[in-house]
Amino acid sequence: MSRVHVDVHHLTRVEGHGNIVVDVRNGVLEKCELQIVETPRFFEPMVRGRTYKEVAHIVSRICGICSVGHSTAALRALEAALGIELTEQTILLRRLNMHGEMLDSHVLHTYMLIAPDLLGVQSVVPLAKSQPEVVLRALRMKKLAGEICRIISGRHTHPIAMVVGGFTHTPSEKDLLYLRKLLLDARADVDATVDLFASLELPAFERETEYIASHKDDEYCYIDGVIASSEGQTWLANDYRSVTNEYLLPYSTAKRARNLRESYMVGALARFNINFEQLHPKAKAAAERLGMKPPVINPYMITVAQVIEIVHCVEDALELVDQLLTKGVQWEDPVAPPYLSGTGVGVCDVPRGILFHEYTIEDGVVTGANCIIPTGQNLQNVELDMRALVPKIIDKPQPEITLALEMLVRAYDPCISCSTHLLDVEFK
Amino acid sequence: MSSNAIPSGRTLILALGNPLRGDDGVGAAVLDCLRGRDLPSEVDLVDGGTSGLELVLTMQGYARVIVIDAADMRLTPGEWRQFSLDDVLLHARDPHLSGTMHYAGLAEALVLAEALDQLPPEITVIGVQPATTDWEPGLTAPVQAALGSIADAVLMTAAAISQM
Repeated sequence: MSRVHVDVHHLTRVEGHGNIVVDVRNGVLEKCELQIVETPRFFEPMVRGRTYKEVAHIVSRICGICSVGHSTAALRALEAALGIELTEQTILLRRLNMHGEMLDSHVLHTYMLIAPDLLGVQSVVPLAKSQPEVVLRALRMKKLAGEICRIISGRHTHPIAMVVGGFTHTPSEKDLLYLRKLLLDARADVDATVDLFASLELPAFERETEYIASHKDDEYCYIDGVIASSEGQTWLANDYRSVTNEYLLPYSTAKRARNLRESYMVGALARFNINFEQLHPKAKAAAERLGMKPPVINPYMITVAQVIEIVHCVEDALELVDQLLTKGVQWEDPVAPPYLSGTGVGVCDVPRGILFHEYTIEDGVVTGANCIIPTGQNLQNVELDMRALVPKIIDKPQPEITLALEMLVRAYDPCISCSTHLLDVEFK
Repeated sequence: MSSNAIPSGRTLILALGNPLRGDDGVGAAVLDCLRGRDLPSEVDLVDGGTSGLELVLTMQGYARVIVIDAADMRLTPGEWRQFSLDDVLLHARDPHLSGTMHYAGLAEALVLAEALDQLPPEITVIGVQPATTDWEPGLTAPVQAALGSIADAVLMTAAAISQM
């Protein structure tokens, strides 16, 4: 009897705790699971009973990497619930802040978590020894990202200046000129990043699936927009539950999601496939250099889509800074809510994919909360990829099978800590 | 592109820690003391907060770094020790940086800086024994009482190094 058994306990180079378990007996795939063993986080009950003003600061802590994304999604939900219209300046500043976080997360993932696999080393430490210029470049780009977030929202992680209705701090002209210089200087590092990933070979594996991303006709969308599917349909933010259709599996503490197919993918590759037309021209040029033309259905290429978004974010951030400099940033009081009760949904496309926050407010106090995080939406898609991949590589030596599966899961950049969503358990 | 053009021969006094967590704010408090004193001209004060791997770039280019941080050395709260990296074993929680990147701190940044061959030539650490690092802002009395002597030691170290 032949048996292939893969059991990766606490997969490395992902955020949080997950296991890969695959069992093949006599050529039959008997078990193929991505087990999420992170403890639930309980953020939703944490915000119930709090005032609406506290929510964004609390839910920011769902993730130390996507704190701007969680804050922004929460603010958009609260602003929808309380009937607040934002000023143009606030919209520009929030977009710029999101670019900072997108860059930070993508640089961390592409360089620190993925590049070691592609360059044949175990982690970033041996990479630092063999190719120090690569790691120093990553650190420089992360520093730029942190500076964007610090200047726009008050600190690198966990924005303090972004509040319901606007900002409690605005950048000075000097701040914006400093950011402009950093962004211009970063172009050389961005070009080198495209060159590096153009030189690396990613595994060839394709599987058709559904892609979901937020979408606007006139902007590569990270904040607001409609929910768009690669199957051609769109939904309004308020209808997000009819897209996510969350359900449970016994071996995972995170909920799963499915829409028009058995599973769907969110994240950089989903955005690339759905919003290619809205990418900055320089990002489109980078896509061509990287051999990427939508639709791309190889999940390992999520990383390459992130590289394309790095180009987009730096170039679009430069344009946003120039717009702010031209218009001149003025102090604005945050817009006050016209009423203090309501329900609202916020949609952001954060580094790992589309994120939904929903809050119900009664007399200024939160009475209901729901957050649906990208990694949870991707889990079923990862597992179906694993099921499709294993038979294609079953004849390879077991270490190669294990590495291919680890790289597949890592490609999704899963943030397992964030995705563990409270389960409602009833014992019989 | 060089992101950090520090003129040669400068000394970095680097405070680490979170002032919202009790005595973990000791580094920032020592910096506040130092800001009121005469500092040698080649010294820069930086509050590194809860930095992770970006400390590699913060330290890059400096001839000397004096780190001030709360450290569990199994001493009485408020006691402090000055040591060089050769004297101690800093326990990196993730020495290969192979797990989550959420937990990177000074020890992990030093691992990466060493691998990159970017460690400043001289690193002195002033570790202060905390009474508590729970979620409450403000220092405890024994750590507060030690601030003056720690600031004196930082200045003496900076001055001694600058005469070398």
